[in-house]
Amino acid sequence: MASSTVSRTHPPRPAGRPAARPARRVRRHLPTSPWLFAAPGLLVTAVFVLYPFVSTVIDAFTDRRTLVPGHFVGLANFRELLHDDMFWTGLRNSVLYVAGTVPALVVLPLLLALLVRKNIPGITFFRSAFYTPVVASIVVVGLIWVWLLDERGLVNSLLQTIGVGRIGFLSDQWLLLVSAMAVTVWKGLGYYMIIYLAALAGVPRELHEAAAVDGAGAVRRFLTVTVPAVRSTMILVAALSSVAAFKVFSEVYLMAGPDGGPAGEDTTLVMLVQRTGTGLTGRVGYASAISLVVFAVTVILMLLVLRADRREDV
Amino acid sequence: MPMSRRTLAALALAALVLPLSACGSGGDGGGSGDASGKVEGDITFQTWNLRANYKDYFEDLIADFEKKYPGTHVKWVDQPAEGYADKISADAAAGTLPDVVNVSPDLLAPLAKAGLATDLDKAAAQYEKEYLPGAWDGQRIPGLPGTYAFPWYLNTGPMFYNKELFEKAGLDPDKPPTTYDALFADALQMAKKSKGKVATLGNVPTIEDFGRYGASLMNKDGTAFTFNDAKGVELLTKYKQLYDAKALDPQALTATPESTGKKFLTGAVAMNPGSALDLENFKKQAPSLYKNIGITDQITNTGHVNMYVMGLMVNAGTKHTPAAIAFAHFVTDAENQMAFAKKVAIFPSTAGSLDDPYFTKEDGTDVTRVRVAAAKSLKTAVNYTPVLFSDQMKTALRNEVAKALQGKESPKAALDNAVKACDRLLKQQG
Amino acid sequence: MSLTENTPRTGRPATPARRLRFTDEHGRRIRTWELLLRYVLLLAVLALTVGPFLWQLSTSLKGPTEDIFSSPPAFLPSHPTLHNYARVADTIPVWDYALNSLKVAAANVVTNCTGSALAGYALARLRYRGRRAATLVFVLAMLVPAESIIIAQFTTMRELGLNNTLVGVVLPGSVAAMNVLLMRNAFLNLPYEIEEAAYVDGANAWQRFLRIALPSVKGTLAVVAIFAFMGAWDDFLWPLIVLSDPSKFTLTIGLNYLHGTFADDERLVAAGTIISVAPLIVLFACLQRYFFRGVGEGAVKG
Repeated sequence: MASSTVSRTHPPRPAGRPAARPARRVRRHLPTSPWLFAAPGLLVTAVFVLYPFVSTVIDAFTDRRTLVPGHFVGLANFRELLHDDMFWTGLRNSVLYVAGTVPALVVLPLLLALLVRKNIPGITFFRSAFYTPVVASIVVVGLIWVWLLDERGLVNSLLQTIGVGRIGFLSDQWLLLVSAMAVTVWKGLGYYMIIYLAALAGVPRELHEAAAVDGAGAVRRFLTVTVPAVRSTMILVAALSSVAAFKVFSEVYLMAGPDGGPAGEDTTLVMLVQRTGTGLTGRVGYASAISLVVFAVTVILMLLVLRADRREDV
Repeated sequence: MPMSRRTLAALALAALVLPLSACGSGGDGGGSGDASGKVEGDITFQTWNLRANYKDYFEDLIADFEKKYPGTHVKWVDQPAEGYADKISADAAAGTLPDVVNVSPDLLAPLAKAGLATDLDKAAAQYEKEYLPGAWDGQRIPGLPGTYAFPWYLNTGPMFYNKELFEKAGLDPDKPPTTYDALFADALQMAKKSKGKVATLGNVPTIEDFGRYGASLMNKDGTAFTFNDAKGVELLTKYKQLYDAKALDPQALTATPESTGKKFLTGAVAMNPGSALDLENFKKQAPSLYKNIGITDQITNTGHVNMYVMGLMVNAGTKHTPAAIAFAHFVTDAENQMAFAKKVAIFPSTAGSLDDPYFTKEDGTDVTRVRVAAAKSLKTAVNYTPVLFSDQMKTALRNEVAKALQGKESPKAALDNAVKACDRLLKQQG
Repeated sequence: MSLTENTPRTGRPATPARRLRFTDEHGRRIRTWELLLRYVLLLAVLALTVGPFLWQLSTSLKGPTEDIFSSPPAFLPSHPTLHNYARVADTIPVWDYALNSLKVAAANVVTNCTGSALAGYALARLRYRGRRAATLVFVLAMLVPAESIIIAQFTTMRELGLNNTLVGVVLPGSVAAMNVLLMRNAFLNLPYEIEEAAYVDGANAWQRFLRIALPSVKGTLAVVAIFAFMGAWDDFLWPLIVLSDPSKFTLTIGLNYLHGTFADDERLVAAGTIISVAPLIVLFACLQRYFFRGVGEGAVKG
């Protein structure tokens, strides 16, 4: 990134000080002060995220249960995973969730951003309105959609009125998963729209004008000018949305119920973590092992995307 | 993002330093607090989703107790229905359980095993005779000596049915089914006559259904599940037939008690289990349905209906054992349970209370009729839910039942799998 | 302020769009049919995003005698009533819970803005050993699945003696990793020159941060503030686990009470959801100007 090259050379070194080590020459504070700045954040993160997470990592190799301290069992939990049908169901659904939501969340918000970027009257209202689903809590969103997609809810009433007939959105294994994905996309539209708006603000207008002069149509301009210009942002959106999709919990939990739909067929990995690991009879060790798998996959997803980004961004 | 060696070193260091006290919590040995001593001190009392409707009752109750025992102070906390098990397990793991806790037997079992519940046979044996023997026994845990909670309220529900739908299907609206065989026959006829539009049942069979059908649920020592016996397989096979004929609601696999309740209200399901509480609800929400509602006993092949027992557990780690025991007893004594029963459609677990005219005398109203019938059936009722049947086991059973109904597995294979899964979970509970 | 809008990629300041209202951001006139098409599309998306909330509002205003299941659906209540809201207020102490939510959310805004601005500044602007490691800590923290560490968090909280306090509700999320990274990004995007003069004048890190860097990232700070407020207001499981005392409950827990007790009464649940979501929408409507400016600064860019 351009700014970081700049930052490395500025500000100039204080007079009279040898530039023995790069780290020292830009200091004009007590040596401890950067750590003082970062201290509150690091402390909170270390105590409430990393420390619990490290204990999760350790638990993954034990048979710990909610009320019973565990013993080291080596890789037994991971071996059990391989033979646990529910684990594979969860993995399948989490992967499907990524495949189902990420393309929509990469493309649709971009189109939406193009729609609201022009300063036509009332556009600030539309921008804010499109952001409302992001503001509402997932519990509220879940309640609203369960009511909308209910067998006797608004959507089915409308379908009935136009003669399609009622559809069991919330009872079929696949329709449930698709409905949950639709809610994820619905709630994410505004959020990613904003990210694209920010990126589009940085696209030089000369590019567009040149294309327009060439007589390129809207679709071609979109593909040849807009998409390349916001490519790194699209990759970022893909990264954020795929990590979120792989960790999906609330949408499916709220719509398919704690069991994860008929015969548990809609269970996602994080739902499985919650179901196996919580409650008084929770198998903390086994659930921790599943958590580790989730964590590993998200790290890999993130690394893949960052690598793609690096290739673009040099 | 490449990791520098320094970063790795820092992380490794963090991994070494941080987890020193990661594990280890839970109970330190079985509690058998001493109930003798002065009743005094501050205690906390936790209920389960009762504040919304019965705030006044509990506030009066606590005031009475504090008046009776000067020097005590009771703090009442009520938790929402959702997340109750999470809340209790977080508190149990961290040692912050309230002094007196409202628990169902399945919550009680792990707590007692972890030594977090006071053994009342040691600490409060003198009160045993005040309760129905079945209710007191219901607070014992297989594999553990002792009784771990005061029995609180009992609940059982009648079966509601839609007379109009029965009549339309050519069934006698005054002779609802009482056994499973009659139920299955009626349900198939209902589905056939309504061309699959009206289902008779909205829920998949639960462990209690297996019990009432006559399957044996567990072996005598409580060390293994047995509901995959001939009776169990027969029940599930019958349900599969119902499901295929749409006599069991097609959405039963994802049903919740609320969603089935709604279906019953709207006439999509003809029979639904419920409690006397629901009657008021019907009156308000679906006045047209109310006229057509029939009330009958729970379907059972064994002659015994199912009942649920709520208990009040005394935390083994309480600092004020005498006060906590006195309070738990106070809440569950005959007088206060009776007062509570008159506010809610529940039934006292104290000996003799069910003979009160309130539970025996009809006055012509439906509410009373349901109450009297339920009180009568409670005298022989059984708590079919095995105490050791955890949430994870319920999920395992539900999932296997769903697979059998969908035809992905034979009923026998599904139940074998469910029993295997439950046995494994049971062993892991230790 | 002009400095803040100058990200490396923006060529020049925005075209003055105010003079000619019907122009796009490049100053070209928009054709009428295109304008019309745009409004049609905008309204369609509006129906999709806001419609569900309005339906919920409509349901909450319908009286007990009105059929809420009818087909074709009745979009407007025929006899609008606030009865359902009154019933919600009878069931749970809405005002107390809202006040608790407000306290938690406000505290979360303060701690997140302060903590993540400080940490973000340290990560972006100060040179020291271990900076990369510190950054990595925040990145990793973002990837940890929250559901798997909640019990461990609670145990820690109890060891600190902060369970059943509102402080305990706020602490774990008080400096969210995501916000730290957002602030880091905002500071990275500031041209280095603006601090240079102060540096030459002998200002120390704290003075540079407070007087120069911070005022330049106000927009991002607004974004962090909104995220922090939303996050705290909307959270359910953590407050439920950490709080025992009903007098300390937050509005989301109250909403769950409603749902647990009156699950089959759609009107009441709808009223509850409206009560919990309305303050956020109002807040956002008030702050959206700052929010979108923050977005312009590249706060959420990556």
